[in-house]
Amino acid sequence: MRNNRKAHHGCPPRTRTGPLARASAVTLALLLAATACGRGTEGGSTGEDGLATGPGFDGKTITVGVNSALTGPVAVVGKPLTEGNRVWFEHVNAEGGIAGKYKIELNKADSHYDAATAVQQYNRQKDDVVMFAQVLGTAITKAVLPNLKRDNVVAAPASQESQWVGEPNLAPLAAPYQIQAINALDHYRKQGGPDSTICSLVQDDASGVAAQEGVDFAARQLGFDVAARATYRVGDKDMTGPVTQLKRAKCDAVFLAGSPTDAGTALGTAAKMKFAPQWLGQSTTWYPTIGESALKPYVEEHLLIVSEGPEWGDTSVPAMAQMLKDQRKYAPKQEPSYYFAFGYVQAQLVTKILEKAVASGDLSRDGVAKAVNTLGKVEFGGLTGDYTYGPPTKRSPSRGSTMFKINMDKPFGLEAVSTNYSSAAAKAFTFDTP
Amino acid sequence: MEQLLQLLVAGLALGARYALVTLGFVVIFRATGVINFAQGSLVLLGAYLTYQFAGPWQWPFLLAAITSVIACGACGPVIERLLLRRMVGRPAFAVIMVTLGLLIVIEQAVPTMWGQDPKNMGDPWGIDTVQAGAVTVAVRDLWTLGLTALAIAGVFGFFRYSRYGLAMRATALDQEAAQAQGISVRRVVALSWTIAGAAAALAGITVASGEAGVSPSISQIALAAFPAAILGGLDSPYGAIAGGLVIGVSQTLTAGYQPDHAAWLGDNFHVIMPYVVMIAILLVRPYGLFGTREVERA
Repeated sequence: MRNNRKAHHGCPPRTRTGPLARASAVTLALLLAATACGRGTEGGSTGEDGLATGPGFDGKTITVGVNSALTGPVAVVGKPLTEGNRVWFEHVNAEGGIAGKYKIELNKADSHYDAATAVQQYNRQKDDVVMFAQVLGTAITKAVLPNLKRDNVVAAPASQESQWVGEPNLAPLAAPYQIQAINALDHYRKQGGPDSTICSLVQDDASGVAAQEGVDFAARQLGFDVAARATYRVGDKDMTGPVTQLKRAKCDAVFLAGSPTDAGTALGTAAKMKFAPQWLGQSTTWYPTIGESALKPYVEEHLLIVSEGPEWGDTSVPAMAQMLKDQRKYAPKQEPSYYFAFGYVQAQLVTKILEKAVASGDLSRDGVAKAVNTLGKVEFGGLTGDYTYGPPTKRSPSRGSTMFKINMDKPFGLEAVSTNYSSAAAKAFTFDTP
Repeated sequence: MEQLLQLLVAGLALGARYALVTLGFVVIFRATGVINFAQGSLVLLGAYLTYQFAGPWQWPFLLAAITSVIACGACGPVIERLLLRRMVGRPAFAVIMVTLGLLIVIEQAVPTMWGQDPKNMGDPWGIDTVQAGAVTVAVRDLWTLGLTALAIAGVFGFFRYSRYGLAMRATALDQEAAQAQGISVRRVVALSWTIAGAAAALAGITVASGEAGVSPSISQIALAAFPAAILGGLDSPYGAIAGGLVIGVSQTLTAGYQPDHAAWLGDNFHVIMPYVVMIAILLVRPYGLFGTREVERA
């Protein structure tokens, strides 16, 4: 494997000529080379075809990292995401590889959805990968980010946190959670009347905070008050308290954010208490088990899920048809899953970045970082919204969302009712840049 | 008033689940002096076994639940025989670490066998409710309260009226004296683990039924129930019940009222409420509500 430890081989010739200048230049070059060798993270060498390279590329195969929850409670998300990554890369390899000549392979590590473990795994993986095709989780991306910056490594987070938009070492995908909340509430108010009482129920972590930020922004933009802001602790076994709070506030609609397990508890508690507002669930709240339970009639009537893209199996969207073809070929046992689709599209983004870097003649870490920040608008064939990449201040995520109703006769239990819905309020939302 | 009653019913049901877990802690502690942190893993196993029997194998739910309780009851003495008996006379810290290790092993093994995705247990009551005046009561909660009452009555009846119950009480008071009277302490310890395993399975079934579903995270209830065991008195079955109910009710009332009436305490104050109650009670009664005060020489 060719890596930065041979960095001095690729230094450009010096042009200054005096003995002192030459001595200084040599000393400086040696120091720089030694520094690069010592840190093992920067610089690069030049391959046979003139491509500047760095860790994770041996001249034939590009290795990208996956830092995901492959065991533990969140593996229900991490495994299909990683399968989605793998299936797209199988597709790319079958067509010759990145730029038609470099095969791509995954270096997978299990974070157990624990930030400390994820950072350890990152440090173990970083010298063997060109970039990270997936880092799963908001809290984990937060923990890994300082390391990515230090090493100038690019990662694609599987987390729709808005603050990633402004991070040059991250290549996020899809509309952030805030946009989901804004679009869902705008859609509801247009359908359910402007005088509705709006509330929220979110989990007490970073993704819950992001969802609440979207709800509060929508309130300011659309001119309503949030009647109750209820929260719960992840894993709460009884939600009578927060549901009572919502019921007391006479909420007509509740924006719900969290995991499917907690969402099931919240919805079940509400159903038992005869509390039936319009629930607007963030994409992360849904898993078909909810609709396969006794909650089926309740969620079919009272739950909408906000996410992106077409419903699973909608072959009128060519990219969906391609995804299903690849899934049948490379992962025939894969059940319909949002997370699989997200991983599949995420791998497409990584492919675009790598192809840009190869086209620029620089597959080193600096080259990949530069590729992300010069990529421009990337289209995903409708599987998810278009995303404009560039320097932090120029980036613009998708502002579109798809509203799904629950229909257990459909794959993954979701039927699209409004595709690529983009509200004026969502377009007005701005993203922080560092 | 309606809201208060609603929260009280939910709190009692949650407390009953805590009480079943706590009962397992207490029964083992009384017999062996060991705090069994693996109790949560037996809760998990009970829920998944019931799912396996009632779901994929399509047994009638009652049969599935009873088989699961018997299976977990049998697991208890096996764990004791294979692991804990070897630790007799070892430092308490080492014994606790063995139970913690066991918790981690079973918590990893269960999702390896059944997967990480949430599952429906297949219980017949689902999200059904009955109306009691102005209060809506979940059938799941009624079953939880009923099953807990039955289990507790059974355990207390066993302690009070059976020969082995008497042996267990004698062993709890003084192990050497009990042995001198011909009581098999080994058998008493095995029996304690059986009761703890069965109670854990019952807790698992009541936790994972209805809308909650079976998922690897349900073992966490054992940690949430631990303050109940401490504040009730770690060696008192009565304390286990009282502690569970106090914790369950205080937690649910806090979740229901605090966000509107004491928002300055922050979000999710109900999560720390069990510890606040535990500290308050221990300040007044250092051995818990029903715990045995240690005899000290002046």
